Amino acid sequence: MANHALVNPVAHKDIKIITDRSAKYGDNLWYALTFPREFRSAQAHYPIFFNKDPNTGKFVAVALFGFKDKENLFLDDDGWHASYIPASVQRHPFLIANQTVTEDGVEHKKRMLTLDMDSPRVSHVEGEPLFLPFGGNSDFLDKTASMMEALHLGAIDGQKFTQTLADLDLLEPFTLDVTLNNGSQHQMIGFYTINEDKLDALDIEQLQALKDAKYLQAIYMAIASQSNIRSLIDKKNALVAAQA
Amino acid sequence: MDRPIKKIVIVGGGSAGWLSAGIIAAEHQTEGEHGIEITLIESPDVATIGVGEGSWPSMRQTLKAIGISETEFLLQCDATFKQASKFDNWISGANDSYFHPFSLPNGFFEANIAEFWQAHSQQVTFADATTAQSHLCKQGLAPKQITSPEYAFACNYGYHLDAGKFSQFLQKHCCEKLGVNHVLDHVVNINNHENGDIASVSTKQNGDIAGDLFIDCTGFKSLLLGEHYNIDFISQKHVLFNDTALAVHVPYPEENSPIASHTISTAQTSGWIWDIGLPSRRGVGHVYSSSHISDDEAEQQLRSYIAPTMCSDHNLTEIRKISINPGYRSKFWHKNCVAIGMSSGFIEPLEASALAMIELSAKMVAEQLPANRQVMDITAKRYNEKFSYRWQRIIEFLKLHYVLSNRTEPYWQDNKHSESIPEHLAELLTLWKYQTPYSYDTHHTEELFPAASFQYILYGMGFKTQLPERAKREDKSLIANKIFNDNIAHTHKLINALSTNRELLNKIKQYGLSKV
Repeated sequence: MANHALVNPVAHKDIKIITDRSAKYGDNLWYALTFPREFRSAQAHYPIFFNKDPNTGKFVAVALFGFKDKENLFLDDDGWHASYIPASVQRHPFLIANQTVTEDGVEHKKRMLTLDMDSPRVSHVEGEPLFLPFGGNSDFLDKTASMMEALHLGAIDGQKFTQTLADLDLLEPFTLDVTLNNGSQHQMIGFYTINEDKLDALDIEQLQALKDAKYLQAIYMAIASQSNIRSLIDKKNALVAAQA
Repeated sequence: MDRPIKKIVIVGGGSAGWLSAGIIAAEHQTEGEHGIEITLIESPDVATIGVGEGSWPSMRQTLKAIGISETEFLLQCDATFKQASKFDNWISGANDSYFHPFSLPNGFFEANIAEFWQAHSQQVTFADATTAQSHLCKQGLAPKQITSPEYAFACNYGYHLDAGKFSQFLQKHCCEKLGVNHVLDHVVNINNHENGDIASVSTKQNGDIAGDLFIDCTGFKSLLLGEHYNIDFISQKHVLFNDTALAVHVPYPEENSPIASHTISTAQTSGWIWDIGLPSRRGVGHVYSSSHISDDEAEQQLRSYIAPTMCSDHNLTEIRKISINPGYRSKFWHKNCVAIGMSSGFIEPLEASALAMIELSAKMVAEQLPANRQVMDITAKRYNEKFSYRWQRIIEFLKLHYVLSNRTEPYWQDNKHSESIPEHLAELLTLWKYQTPYSYDTHHTEELFPAASFQYILYGMGFKTQLPERAKREDKSLIANKIFNDNIAHTHKLINALSTNRELLNKIKQYGLSKV
């Protein structure tokens, strides 16, 4: 169970965050949430597909790192081999919490940065300090805070994006059948992709609405990102060959 | 005679009228030169009866075919998922219980699993050994997840629904999306052609409404088929004695009380009580034989059943009394008139067959719609044969529930008198003493009750089949054992993955189900 605490300069003045990438820190992820505002960076490395949030059944965009649970083909003993890691992965061990605060008698919601004190990334010894030795935020903390803000807003926009795709009936389930060099066959189900025939059949007003919402580019980037499946298969073949 | 069928007039709203309109209008274009014009005339001063709160899994395909969003249907019709019927106190009356699940037994097509279950019958019930569904029902779990697309499932399901809301919902969909004309008026006269066909119906305010095919959905009144054409009614009261029902709505003790995902049917001294959970309330009713119990006593039994399940400071709605004349018409399609729903026949709701029969009837009319009047009599003959057969199968299947009981009250003993048991059913029961029901026992396409249903009832009720001691060349017992083990593993997986019926319905209210 996560143990979240509001980040504060008194309690956390000696806390450091380990930013290394490793399975022992939970980076052995099969896929992770992504959103249109980071598609440009994500599509350079990862296939972008869609699946459903198990809690709400709502569609989310995900960047794929492997073909099965706990398989991240970008990760090895030397770290995560890609120049961009989705913000939803980078954020650990931080989270944004909504806090209701009363200022001048007016209640409003404020977003606060929290830290999972039970995360193996939290250390007193190694990693990036949160605060400077004589007070003040470290660059790391400031960067993290702005990334968390971008993630928060990006994820909200991402929900609107996937809802728009669902409303336009553009998402369809697909089954990925992979045959590896050694002849073994693998099947991946539960993911969705954009139906290009339906996309082509949209009328001009629907396309205009997508363009105005800045979703048209995201749609084409998601479609183009599918070619990354090939490099993912190559990584898997290399891994299987190395283990043989 | 070779004039094409272009205009269909449905008389009567309610579930029968609107489902028929929806099913036909989803099959045929209602606009343009080659469209079929569909008009539904609904009397503003005749209340619909509003029973039929349980459906079969067939309703999923029906709603999908009509183009309805399952999310909207669930929310607007106060609907929930139904996975089974549970029969309490039917065997001996001493707290016995069994399930008739909607899912087929695991591995049903690989082996006749019922044969292999016999050896384990003392350890595990037939339903528990062969499906996950009875386990899910006992734990109040839903048949699907929030991530399951509309109409998709982890375990096969139908619905419990509010019949009044369902009619209104269908009406809106039929009129707004499918181009069905809606006339709110009272039919005062029926006008014949010279050949005896119905030419038109006269209404109070909208004059004469002409049509090529008339569908009678006027309920027990059977205005066209019964009153106008005087088609014989074949009573089944000598087989199924129940002729009266008392129905009532029961509030839940708390807003988030669990919702059963199965119909609970509890045997009484002279009938049985249905208990159907909707999101906002339960629908409970006592259906009984008035020759075996007085209305007052029946009401007392109903109240005794309800009392422990509700808060003392809540009040029951008024108890509604419904008279049932069990039976069906000698034919359903006569000249250019076909009766669908209670106008064609009605039988106690023991297996909730009413909505399913409406779906099947309307589907056949839609798919076999005669090209012209000339061929209509042939279609009518085929339709009548098919539905007479279906009514007989329903009656036999319902009777099966009664004849296997060991209860001792006069009602239950009378139910076992040989003169009350249809000959075909008696033959099957003799056969099943030595062999289990399987593929030879059902032979029609769209058979109402698959052989699996007979297995669930027979073995749920404790029926004994003594298989002959014959050695077979191929021993399928290893396959059967694998199927039993698979069912245990599958059940565990589902129990971990599924939320309760109430939790899922709350989530659907919040997030909706996606189409894919």
